[in-house]
Amino acid sequence: MARFAAKKTSKPGDSLIRDDYEHGYSFDTDSYEFKSGKGLTEKIIHQLSRMKNEPKWMLETRLRAFGEFQARPNPMWGGDLSPIKFDDISYYLKPTEKVVKSWADVPKDVKETFDRIGVPKAERKFLAGVKAQYDSEVVYGSLKSTWVKDGVIFLSMDEGLAKYPDLVKEYFGSVIPLNDNKYAALNTAVWSGGSFVYVPKNVHVKMPLQTYFRINAEAFGQFERTLIIVDEGASVHYIEGCTAPQFNSTSLHSAVVEIIVKKGARCQYTTVQNWYKNIYNLVTKRAHVSEEGQMVWTDFNMGSKVTMKYPSFILAGKGAKGETLSMALAGEGQHQDTGSKATHLAPYTSSTIIAKSISKGGGRTSYRGKVFISPNAHHSKNTVVCDALLLDDKSRSDTYPVDQVYNNQVEIQHEATVSKIGDDQLFYLMTRGMSEENSRKMIVNGFIADLVKKLPLEYAVEMNRLIDFEMEGSIG
Amino acid sequence: MITYTIKKNQSKKIELTKPGQYTVELVGEGAEALVSGVFQTKDKETIATEILIHHKSPHTSAKTTLKGVARDQSYLRFKGKIIIDEHCGDTRSFLTERVLLLSPQAKAEAVPDLEIKTSDVSCSHAASVSNIPEEHIFYLQARGLDRRKAEEIIVEGFLTVSN
Repeated sequence: MARFAAKKTSKPGDSLIRDDYEHGYSFDTDSYEFKSGKGLTEKIIHQLSRMKNEPKWMLETRLRAFGEFQARPNPMWGGDLSPIKFDDISYYLKPTEKVVKSWADVPKDVKETFDRIGVPKAERKFLAGVKAQYDSEVVYGSLKSTWVKDGVIFLSMDEGLAKYPDLVKEYFGSVIPLNDNKYAALNTAVWSGGSFVYVPKNVHVKMPLQTYFRINAEAFGQFERTLIIVDEGASVHYIEGCTAPQFNSTSLHSAVVEIIVKKGARCQYTTVQNWYKNIYNLVTKRAHVSEEGQMVWTDFNMGSKVTMKYPSFILAGKGAKGETLSMALAGEGQHQDTGSKATHLAPYTSSTIIAKSISKGGGRTSYRGKVFISPNAHHSKNTVVCDALLLDDKSRSDTYPVDQVYNNQVEIQHEATVSKIGDDQLFYLMTRGMSEENSRKMIVNGFIADLVKKLPLEYAVEMNRLIDFEMEGSIG
Repeated sequence: MITYTIKKNQSKKIELTKPGQYTVELVGEGAEALVSGVFQTKDKETIATEILIHHKSPHTSAKTTLKGVARDQSYLRFKGKIIIDEHCGDTRSFLTERVLLLSPQAKAEAVPDLEIKTSDVSCSHAASVSNIPEEHIFYLQARGLDRRKAEEIIVEGFLTVSN
């Protein structure tokens, strides 16, 4: 036995990236109720709106947004979006006739997909309500009767618009206007599916609500639209999960999520994103937080080719709080451009952003964030911590934070570190009899432990399993 | 734009006295840079300092500290960036940006960027923007200093860079 561990204990090889993505299967789309064909025109938007039987204002909003989308160039910063071919993408694919309330009524292919992902099992065990979106439409929805009795609304966005048109009209686009950015405009033009959640005053939804997003078709664009309204003193935890099959051509996922957190309310929004590595994931998420309200984003990005996502909060009421916990993992050919934006508009507001990223096999992670303290926001506090772990020499990590401070009665802090797994750390664990691979897994799991802790137990277990899975064979 | 180039086994202390754009390139193995800059603004001044620390060679190190105090309605901007190129192992680089805002109308912007393309590095940055904590002033006042003097001493201490 060598007395000293070798200084360089490993040379990561090409075997870092696994080719077997466990959600890579797909079913054919012949049996679909409706397919829009490739490309996007005003005619398709008219047709889409007519099929959904929408009020006139929605069609007008869609058309205006379509104009904005066409007029705007791709952003010059962030990931490389030039390979997206807008004319080769199908914008609307309707797999089934309507949303059903029982898994028995879901078509066989669709049901099998969600069975394999484990959605029905999770629903029975620990969720208050479930939505399952397959390509463009929500195909299944449920909500436990306890919450129905309390007046909680959990519908697909399309049902929400049909049943509560006034509520939707009041808040739709109020946090993210249709001209916010190119992809928010595209989403507004062709949105379909997504969730509509309303939690009445002082109702605490104690179990999470979950929506499961699945892309099945090839060269497709999924544009779900989510609106969550948490009324005064209420609380809710919403979870979304995403997977897609293994195709060569690229698909686009561009969601818009708007959240309204009223006085003293609390909302936690958790994303576990594990798209296949051909998906462009360009998402706009923002919350408007009133007095004493609290918004928590927990954002886990493992999959996709390029992700550009910056969940943000506008702290508009006195004493409002915001928190973002973000984790990104980038492997070969992936670019995770994630971060968060904190806008402090009122006094005594506080926010925390914790971002952890892991790059390996030539992957690239970027933290991009902005903290804005308005002249009114005296006695506000903000802390940003970004830690990056680079697992080999081919990978890259960037940090692009901006702090803009227009008031002096504040405390603003930013910290970032970039490092690798230390040889001394590995040595320590290996002298205690652990293999190198297990030591590495343990260090990586420890690196993200405080974020994983914030997930419901079932997801935390799954997350650790996924990380182990990604780390497998990372020793050459 | 002023560029400093630091060659093999060279160690250099750089003190920035004027706002503007600066680049520090570490081009040879063993190059070391200690960069510091202290800025004060008052009235309606706006000043901006941009600095790029570019590690182009392995075994290099840099420590960069920017500090500023903004009074009255002035606006102070710091933009710092560390780039570590590919194959520049055993690199250490630290960037600190600290701003003290002494009046309610004073404004600040701090941007500390990192672009790291090598894994064998130790790199970090820190930024902070705040006013003088009331406890600090209280501490000195309790020892018999008046408010103005207390502030003066705290600012003086704040602006001292120990490189």
